[in-house]
Amino acid sequence: MTRLSGGLIDRSRPLNFTFNGISYTGFEGDTLASALLANGVQLMGRSFKYHRPRGVFAAGSEEPNAMVELRTGARQEPNTRATVTELFEGLTARSQNHMGPLHRDFLAVNDLLSPFFAAGFYYKTFMWPKAFWEKLYEPAIRKAAGLGSLSMLPDPDDYDKGFLHCDLLVIGAGAAGLAAALAAGRAGAEVILADEDFALGGRLVMEGDLLDEALATGWVATVKAELESLPNVRIMTRTTVFGVYDHGIFGAVERVSDHLPTPGDKVRQTLWRITAKRTVLAAGATERHMPFADNDRPGVMLAGAMRAYANRWAASPVKRDDDAIAIFTNGDDGHRTALDLIAKGAKVLGVIDTRETAPKFGDYEVFAGATVTGTKGRLGLTSIEITRGGRSEWHSVGALGIAGGWNPNVHLASHHRGRPVWNERLLAFVPSPDGPKGLIPAGAAAGKGGTAEALEDGMAAAIKALAELEISAAEISLPKAENASAEQVAFWHVPGQKRAWVDFQNDVTVKDIALAHRENMTPVEHLKRWTTLGMATDQGKTSNVSALAVMAELTGKSIPETGTTMFRPPYTGVSLAVLGGGDSGPLFRPRRLTPTHHWAAAQGAEFVEVGPWMRAQYFPRKGEMQWRESVDREVLAVRAGVGLCDVTTLGKIDVQGPDAGEFLNRIYANMMGTLKVGKVRYGLMLREDGHAYDDGTCARMGEDHYVVTTTTANAGLVYRQMEFAHQCLWPDLDVQLISTTDAWAQIAVAGPKSRALLSRIVDDFDLSNEAFPFMSCAALTICNGLRARLFRISFSGELAYELAVPARYGHALMARLMEMGADLGVTPYGTEALAVLRIEKGHAAGAELNGQTTAQMLGLGKMVSVKKDSIGAVMSRREGLAADTRRLVGFRSADPQTQIMAGSHLFPEGAEQNMATDQGWITSACYSPHMKGYIALGLLEDGAARLGEVVVAANPLEGQAMKLEVVSAHFVDPEGGRLRD
Amino acid sequence: MIEPVTDLAPITALGGTVPRSEIFGALTLSENAGLALASLALRKDQEMPKPFGLPLPEVGKAVSMGGLAAFWTGRGQWMIEAAGRGETDFAAALKAEVPKACVSEQTDGWVAFDIASTQGAAPIEALMARLVNLDSTGFGPGCATRTGLEHMSVFVIRRSEDRLTVMGMRTFADALWHALAVTARRLDD
Repeated sequence: MTRLSGGLIDRSRPLNFTFNGISYTGFEGDTLASALLANGVQLMGRSFKYHRPRGVFAAGSEEPNAMVELRTGARQEPNTRATVTELFEGLTARSQNHMGPLHRDFLAVNDLLSPFFAAGFYYKTFMWPKAFWEKLYEPAIRKAAGLGSLSMLPDPDDYDKGFLHCDLLVIGAGAAGLAAALAAGRAGAEVILADEDFALGGRLVMEGDLLDEALATGWVATVKAELESLPNVRIMTRTTVFGVYDHGIFGAVERVSDHLPTPGDKVRQTLWRITAKRTVLAAGATERHMPFADNDRPGVMLAGAMRAYANRWAASPVKRDDDAIAIFTNGDDGHRTALDLIAKGAKVLGVIDTRETAPKFGDYEVFAGATVTGTKGRLGLTSIEITRGGRSEWHSVGALGIAGGWNPNVHLASHHRGRPVWNERLLAFVPSPDGPKGLIPAGAAAGKGGTAEALEDGMAAAIKALAELEISAAEISLPKAENASAEQVAFWHVPGQKRAWVDFQNDVTVKDIALAHRENMTPVEHLKRWTTLGMATDQGKTSNVSALAVMAELTGKSIPETGTTMFRPPYTGVSLAVLGGGDSGPLFRPRRLTPTHHWAAAQGAEFVEVGPWMRAQYFPRKGEMQWRESVDREVLAVRAGVGLCDVTTLGKIDVQGPDAGEFLNRIYANMMGTLKVGKVRYGLMLREDGHAYDDGTCARMGEDHYVVTTTTANAGLVYRQMEFAHQCLWPDLDVQLISTTDAWAQIAVAGPKSRALLSRIVDDFDLSNEAFPFMSCAALTICNGLRARLFRISFSGELAYELAVPARYGHALMARLMEMGADLGVTPYGTEALAVLRIEKGHAAGAELNGQTTAQMLGLGKMVSVKKDSIGAVMSRREGLAADTRRLVGFRSADPQTQIMAGSHLFPEGAEQNMATDQGWITSACYSPHMKGYIALGLLEDGAARLGEVVVAANPLEGQAMKLEVVSAHFVDPEGGRLRD
Repeated sequence: MIEPVTDLAPITALGGTVPRSEIFGALTLSENAGLALASLALRKDQEMPKPFGLPLPEVGKAVSMGGLAAFWTGRGQWMIEAAGRGETDFAAALKAEVPKACVSEQTDGWVAFDIASTQGAAPIEALMARLVNLDSTGFGPGCATRTGLEHMSVFVIRRSEDRLTVMGMRTFADALWHALAVTARRLDD
């Protein structure tokens, strides 16, 4: 045990956990990393490429090394940072990325082969033979590299989402963030204070600094209590604001129950979209290191992290209490760590300061003008080599802290392409003034990392932000604090022949950067991609600036001339599950159920997804072994008797007003204004570019009242297009539109006995051919008084009607029609039979209205009226479209029992099959029980003039080809007598 | 009790013979199958009518009077609500009241879920925060808007501090109930 005194852990609440199967005990308030350190565990994993032993390097979300597989079973999660994993009772973690035990990883052989694994090696190696890449090289590399492993089991937990709004979003609850939130909270503004940590305070609770001459924890607790008492302030801990999006919207993930053994009734995480009028970015800063030879051994870590473990978690970084700790620094900040460790009773070897005139702040040795030039220790640090004035000597240490300066966390300020700005005094990039609108960086994130200046800056940022919102905020009384000395010199890495790691997680060394430079990959974007620096799960939080500095040195340019890396969301990894926001499987997206859905389900219907709709596909009967038997039966029942199909999904748009006729004349390619009241007309709409858009019927229910129907797929699109035309193209027309798709249940009653069936349910309505001929419509009542609409239209080619009633009666109407039509052989049919019926009749549907076809191609060219203008009419006459000779025709196979494949392309018999000889394609195909064989529709060059000719339908990709006879598209009743009788 | 107009038996949007209602802690979700709806759109240059004496609300607002209510849906457009008249031809009644305007039957175009809280505004606002991107501080009693809810288009009407109505397309009723119920249940946990 290397537990120190003090800290913010609750020693009365011990927690048991296991790491690689070994049991340990920590305390409430520990992270997995702090608990492992306190148990003397330094070795926590293996590196990505070379399988080098690695230990914890940081104390926060920037951690590159200490990644574990957390939990077991379906909840096993790879690449979890031990530094941000709160300890809970029964926690189970395993190290990852090794073959065999952690301390004896067989893949550590990669480290010996490292000369071959330099930057760009994937790009240069395994190039030959080409065929080996997919089957051999890539799987082998993936197995050896990569990080943790997935359980491959479905995620058992729930996720939620939500929306929040505030005047001021404060990101980070350290000194600046707390001061900002308190100033804004007292001013009465709606405030959200978010922090990725589970405790408030940020660095305040990790440093030994005093506020009002007491430990900062007291002030933090007081502020927390006051903020909690303010109804206008929402404190969100365990919440990472990961991205800035348009219009002041921030993405944030709240880890609701990641700190619990299982979520229980709670969700695991919640995705919040926070709309903030103003934002204070108080995200703090991340310490950087200074690469030197063999700097990646367990026990080497950031000095600030060492301080945090000692102060907050009472954990020492060494394996044994009597191991000494050394600090390597280029400024005064490293000395703070030495002082804090000494105050905690740890054994400190001294501070190795790169400055010749290094100061000394306490009772410890200072190695001035010195650097660390080497380390030893196979699985953990045992000694370091200190070099000064050309003389080197080895010292025994159990841990080494590195203090290379602090980089403001500019990430979120860069999300709207705000380019960070180099500050020579701070030797760091600070947020761009051109960052996201309304976002004000403050405190360490703005380069003001001293405690006193961070408190001041946070408060000032809040007051400034609220002033822009015309909310007056007063200054608050801040605690007495000091600014620790930030004196430092520009020292970036220790030159040497051995490997010195820059990016630990992706195993990128100074040598790799030098190689990238030699190969002219000097722009920072090329450097990143060539070496993979900064592209691991930590996104290079501890390495990017150091890498730039190394490259700057190699090119002889300054750091800002060398470039800066742009940050993109997310700030830290976000699971796809939480982005999905909750439901999965069949509930993943909302489904629309037709008014007869429950009836169809009770009949045992098979359903098919049609966009969001669930439609009955067919109604299998007992004894029917496969779907075609059911479909064939349903088709024949319609042709011989009467069938029922729910067609509610077709779009219905109510068009009213004195100019409704004129409006529809402009929407439809054909004339609609001349339609008489009580009549229905088939209508065709074109796109602006002249191609066919949608078809359907238009019924004139009254003088100023039309009902337009659309295809199921285009219901929303057509309505949107009509609204656009109404509001933007012709606002002068007195017309009003509203969708009524859901309001009416609509049932197709089709077949020669449909009139007989309907006559049994209508109330005093003359259905005779004379009184209600083909293409009539009427409002009427049925079933003793229910208002309904009846349309005599046919998709099947048979005598047919569509009957609409208020949707709540659709279910009962279907049952009633079935009951009343039993003696007529009434049969429900689904979308499959519907499709067969329309192919037999030669009606175009979605496969023909695919956005590539014109009215002419569909045989509807004459519908484009020349007596008026309409959307797309002029463009449909342009040469490129008008000259297209492809026409919709029918096809029959020479062998009627051989299936025709939709999508096959059409070629002349005997011709070579290529793009030049391609004459069209099969759009729809089915087995026709009426024709007792396979039939198809398709578009063929000069199709109308080629009836009787034989063509080849081919799929050259699969080597398929079959001969087809070109026939009329109307396989059933080409004269159209049936639907008019 | 309004006499049935037909011998066909209606079902509710959720497929039941009676409207569904379920309690989740402080929140009660109820399917309102009795609500009649008709859209009212003014013709050009038509003066603002007061159907049944109901003053039509401003942009983003809702009003109610007795069993009648209205909320704004677009420029010169409102949805008129009539409690307990879902099985009547309410559109015809409205048209008779404002013969010049465009009226469309909308009763079964929508499903209305009423949400009532026994603990004031907080549970209602917590539910809203999970489901719709609306700032509840600016969406007090008398506000109504159209917005997205789990990829569905809905109307949200704040009837009072502790009552909210969410209207979705009727064919999405199951999916909308699921979204509301799951969220309400989680708030109760």
